[in-house]
Amino acid sequence: MSALGNPNRLHPMHLAMVVPVQALLIATIFLPSMYVFWLSLNESSFGVAPKFVGLRNYIEVLSDPYFWRAFVNTAIVINIVVYLELALGMAMALLFATGIPFRKTMISIVLAPYAISEVAAVVMWRFMLDPSIGMVSQTLTALGLPTIEWSVVPAHGLAVICALSVWLHLPFTFLILYAARLAIPADLYEAARIDGASPWRQFIHITVPVLMPAILVAVLFRYIFAFRMFSEVWLVTGGGPARSTEVLAVYLYQEAFRYNEFGIASATGWLMVAGSILLAIPYLRSLYKRTLTDA
Amino acid sequence: MRRPLYLKVLRGLALLAIAFWSAFPIALVVMSSFKPARDIFVFPPTWAFAPTLQNYAGLWLRWPDFFRTLGNSLIVTLGATALAVIVSAMAGYVYSRKRNPYLAGSAFFMIFVRLFPPIVVTLPLFPLVNALRLNDTHLILVILYATFFVSMGTMILKAFVDQIPRELDEAAMVDGAGVWSVFWRVILPLSAQGMIAVGVFVFVYAWNEFLFAFIFTTSTAKTAPLVLSEMTGAVDGVEWGVLFAATTVQLVPVLLFVLLAQKYLIAGLTAGATKG
Repeated sequence: MSALGNPNRLHPMHLAMVVPVQALLIATIFLPSMYVFWLSLNESSFGVAPKFVGLRNYIEVLSDPYFWRAFVNTAIVINIVVYLELALGMAMALLFATGIPFRKTMISIVLAPYAISEVAAVVMWRFMLDPSIGMVSQTLTALGLPTIEWSVVPAHGLAVICALSVWLHLPFTFLILYAARLAIPADLYEAARIDGASPWRQFIHITVPVLMPAILVAVLFRYIFAFRMFSEVWLVTGGGPARSTEVLAVYLYQEAFRYNEFGIASATGWLMVAGSILLAIPYLRSLYKRTLTDA
Repeated sequence: MRRPLYLKVLRGLALLAIAFWSAFPIALVVMSSFKPARDIFVFPPTWAFAPTLQNYAGLWLRWPDFFRTLGNSLIVTLGATALAVIVSAMAGYVYSRKRNPYLAGSAFFMIFVRLFPPIVVTLPLFPLVNALRLNDTHLILVILYATFFVSMGTMILKAFVDQIPRELDEAAMVDGAGVWSVFWRVILPLSAQGMIAVGVFVFVYAWNEFLFAFIFTTSTAKTAPLVLSEMTGAVDGVEWGVLFAATTVQLVPVLLFVLLAQKYLIAGLTAGATKG
């Protein structure tokens, strides 16, 4: 084996080829985040010199009812969205795996929302749900049911945000589960059938355990991404009425760019970073094992 | 497999419901963009109407800025896609071929840093970008969009390069090729599929992104999704027909792109997400 081909020998060129990725991450994400940490320990605003205040910003954030409102909203929305996507994505993956007509066309159709921007999706859903002209509201009225007042009733606003988010991200969850389901060898089910296992028992004893890694990936990724949700909320309710439908990212945006409370916003930012890391601990553990222990 | 009739009917209904859920909102908006104003609000929605381009004419006349921002979206998207694919390919190659504790540490860092929510970095970047006079430029969006996809891009390309036999590198090295020329002449051509997969992800993200564009651009580099949101929030009432025309123009190119490239999208997702 030549020196260059030895996996343990690094040529300076190898390092040079890793530098661009690392430089982008350090300059645009890592250093700014460290600066945010410093900002979170200071009182600061536009054009005002920062003043060190220790943990006061954190105390202020944690005693702000709007923060807790945003926190609870985030917790509600991500749990509804992630588990609804998992249930629907799983049902669809299993249905598709049994062999369906027009499989290719159906997959294209299911994939379509992945291509749609949050803004365009909001246009669609606002049109369908508009209290006076929307077809959903008109259908509800025709059936004698109350309409969805998403700009007035906070619970309705959050429900619309959940529906919109599920619509946008279901393709991701579905694809991960479907690819994993297709990878299960058919003889596993064949053997179970010969042993007389019912479809339900096959699901519990074969499908779920074998799919578990894919389920964890889908759930984890969606938790982390749903946790930072901004556009859906900003474009549907703007966090209103009266800041009642804010999620954490919207709360942070309002504190920073509307109220110029950079210290408060930074403390919120670091609480969000900590939250993301906590959510990702199982993933980081397995990643650590794979990247660092076999090195 | 033989199935009882009731099961066949149930399965058919489930498939119809899935197709309806996924496609109806898109079809409705695209269809409505060709409807004359009086037909847009007809309930239940009519599929028989005389198609017209008057909404597109209205868009052209009243929102001339929209087409310029569409150009900005294209510039930013192509720039971010090219940058992310190139740097991810280089790093993916090294991570696939080399074992080294520092390298492994940097791979861990690469994924770890990606956990930081984008809204967090806007706080310090906002004044910094202003000081560097980068606000409202294409460049700042290109850098931000590429950065938020290089971690996943590198993992996807590492998975693709892992499948290229090392003997090919070895053979080229025996012929006297250096690191760069092995990468350029052996690895790159063979990982084209992976690069397309990464490209699709970045392209869709950059074309549709809202938050960074909202914070860092105001006019010169403003992207199309921002104009859509302005039209949605117009104080003097929403002009639905014109809004549908703009939405259609914004979504059709990327929708076609995703449908054409779906093979790569699925390959990339399975390589990057499940293994990354």
